[in-house]
Formats: sequence, structure tokens, C-alpha cells
Amino acid sequence: MEFIIRHKTIISFISFTLFCLISLTAHTSSTINSIEGLLHLFVVPFQQGYEALQSGVRRFWVGFTELGELRDELQRTRQKLMKYEQIADELTELKKENERLRHQLQMASRLEYESIPARVISRDPDNWYRTIILDRGSADGVKNNMPVVAYSGAEKAVIGKIIDVRSRVSRVIPIIAPEMKLGVMLQSSRYPGLLHGISSNSILCVMDYVSKSALVKFGDQVITSGQGGIFPQGLSVGKVLRSEIMEASAYQRVIVIPTVDYEKLEDVFILKKEPDAEFLELLKSAGN
Amino acid sequence: MIGYIFTGAVIIASLIIQAHDSFDVLKVAGAKPDLLFIAVIFFGYNFGSFYGEVTGFIAGLLHDAVSNAPLGLLTFPKVVIGYVVGMFGRSVFRANLATIFLLVLAASIVKGIITIFLCYIFDSVSVTARAAVIVPESLYNAIIAPFLFMLYEKIFEREIEREGM
Repeated sequence: MEFIIRHKTIISFISFTLFCLISLTAHTSSTINSIEGLLHLFVVPFQQGYEALQSGVRRFWVGFTELGELRDELQRTRQKLMKYEQIADELTELKKENERLRHQLQMASRLEYESIPARVISRDPDNWYRTIILDRGSADGVKNNMPVVAYSGAEKAVIGKIIDVRSRVSRVIPIIAPEMKLGVMLQSSRYPGLLHGISSNSILCVMDYVSKSALVKFGDQVITSGQGGIFPQGLSVGKVLRSEIMEASAYQRVIVIPTVDYEKLEDVFILKKEPDAEFLELLKSAGN
Repeated sequence: MIGYIFTGAVIIASLIIQAHDSFDVLKVAGAKPDLLFIAVIFFGYNFGSFYGEVTGFIAGLLHDAVSNAPLGLLTFPKVVIGYVVGMFGRSVFRANLATIFLLVLAASIVKGIITIFLCYIFDSVSVTARAAVIVPESLYNAIIAPFLFMLYEKIFEREIEREGM
């Protein structure tokens, strides 16, 4: 016992080192996930408390400073609302027409998914891994691999997918993370590619494996391809910044600016879409 | 006992502030300072290896839990740095702006190298995607550290006196 007390520093150092190395080696095991879950549970109340405090202060401050601006803003919003109502009517007509044509061409109907509104309570706790924590969890019906979207104007844009769900919070891996892979395509030319983040400190993405024969222009819209079984087809991802053609490669890589500004993200929607059964089978077999 | 409570409070506050989106305004070159890491260096520097590695371990585990990193990846560098800084601590460096800047800069670079090494072994993502973080984060940590050390020295004034510094 005396030996342990006398050498507690080095014994602790070796124990901590072993714990870290074992945990890193077996990081997908259920025990390690449970430890991580327990630690996360401990932090969540502090995160929610701080978020509530921060939004309270923000609202209080806005109440004092922006009352005049709010009146003008209300007027502008009313005008916009009238315009959008008109667009919505036209859109309903177009949808009906689209459905009718799809039916005539014997194409499957596009599915509309219900969504769960959520707020960002934490973002990027470290500089190495991109993470968003949302204030909705399994109690609200959130499940792993559900797509997360946000609105940029009237456009629905991809933010990422759920990778970890607790009872009251869930964790999202955003499309700008280097470890996130997303099947996308160029909207106009329909050339496919695989999108992922450039680096841990960049807000840009890169679209790999784009055929060299594809003519890629600045500003071209990039959308989800729907392949991969997680994201529905046709969601906005971003716009082309530039393309890089490498002599040694059979493909070109395209640099993409995401539609939604990741740094300003506050409110998102979790689409109640579970992955295709075929995709789940693949995930399970990869796990085994 | 009060010292332990303050230590816990500093770790939790650093974690919450660092992880909250309001802290993103401080980002430079896509990186923000690692407040938890600076706190671990402070504890190792002032209270020795044991205190440094224990706070490094606890802070690292909490950091891993709220991050996408596999459990242990952000913990191990903090344990190592807490231990090493505690070994030298005040016996080698006298606390002033320049030494704190250099100490935190060197510690942050070592932490970055350890993290990259762990990513290389245990993570499938390319190392170059992660390596871009080391320099901006290290510089940022080093610049902000002297001010945080001053604040922590005020909070832990009694404990530092008790340590006989």
C-alpha cells in the first residue's frame, strides 16, 4: 500500500495511458459507448443550462435594443409573407401537375418526410472533430442516421446526419467533417460524386470522383443523389467554388461551398426518415 | 476541498464555454483556443504531475464525451502534458508572460503531434485533414494562456500559497 502511495503519480500515469489505449482500440464496443454516454449525460445539464442562460440574455438584450427595428422588420415580413403565400399556391399547383405527370410516366412518387425542429446547443467542442449537439433526443423520436436539414431562404439544405442519440440530446456529424461521406451530384449535368469535408478547420467541402468529362462551372448547384439510403434525393448541398483537374487521376475534384453557413447555424430540422433496409443490412454486416 | 470544487468548476466552465456556439466568434483560421488544455497546463504547472495528470484525465474524458472523437483520443495528450508539465513546473520556469507563452506553445504543438499520431493509428480519416489545425490552435492557446493563467492564479491564490510557491 505504501508503495502505491509513494509511486501514485507514475502508477496513475500508466493506468490512465492504458485506459486511453484500450479505449481507443475498442472504441466501438458497447462498454466504451456506455462510459461515453454516462460522461455525456453528466455534461448535458450544464450545456442546456448555459444555452438557456445565453438565450435568455440574448432575448433580454434584444428587447431593449431592437424594438424600433422590430416594427420595420414586422412590416417587411408581412409583405414577404404575402409574396410567399402566392408562391405556395403556385407551388401546390406545380406539385399536383408533377404528381400527375409522374403517374403518367409510371414513376414512383417523391416522399415527403415529417420533421422535428431542433436547436443547436453545442458546436465543435474541439478543433479536431466537427460536432453539433441538438436539444432533441430519443424521447422526441430521433434515431441514428436520420438526416438533418436547415432552411436557407426557401431552400432545404443538408446539414448532416444523426450519429448518436441520448434521451434528450443527439449528436450530428456535419457535411463539412472530413469523416462524413455523402453521395451527391451536380444538379444541371447530373454527374455524381462523393462529398466530404476538406479539413477539420475548413468550412468548405470537396466533391471527389467527378468524371473528367463533366463540365463544371462556378456556382453550379450540388444536390444529394439519394444513393446511400440516408438522405432523400434533391436536397441542396452547396455551390461549386472551383474544380481541380489532376493529371495523375482519372477524376476531377470539385470544391463546394455549403448552402448553409455552418458558423451561423441555430435552428435545424431532423427528417423522420430512417435508412433504407438494404443500407441497414450493409451497416450491420460492416459492424460484424 | 474548496480547491477541488474550484478545479471542477474551471473544467466544467471551460468545457461548456468552449463547446457553445457563441464561442465560435473567437475562431481564427477555423480554430479556437482549447480552454480545457490551458487549464490542465495550469494545474500541472502549479500543483505538480499528479494533479496535472488527474485533471488532464477527467477533463479529457469529458471533452471526448461531448466530441465526435473516440474516447481517449483527446484524453491521452492531456494526461501526458499534465504529467510532463508537472514534472518541470515552477522548478524550471518562472511564471511570466514570455515563459507561459512559450510553455503553452510548446505543449500545444506536442499535444497536436500526439493527437495526429493517435488519429493516424486509430482513425480512418486522412492525417492531412487534421494536421491543418495544429499551428493556429497552438498559437491561439499560447496568446490567450497568460491572461487565463492570471485569472486562475486569482481563483487559486490560497492553494498556490499553500503549495509554497
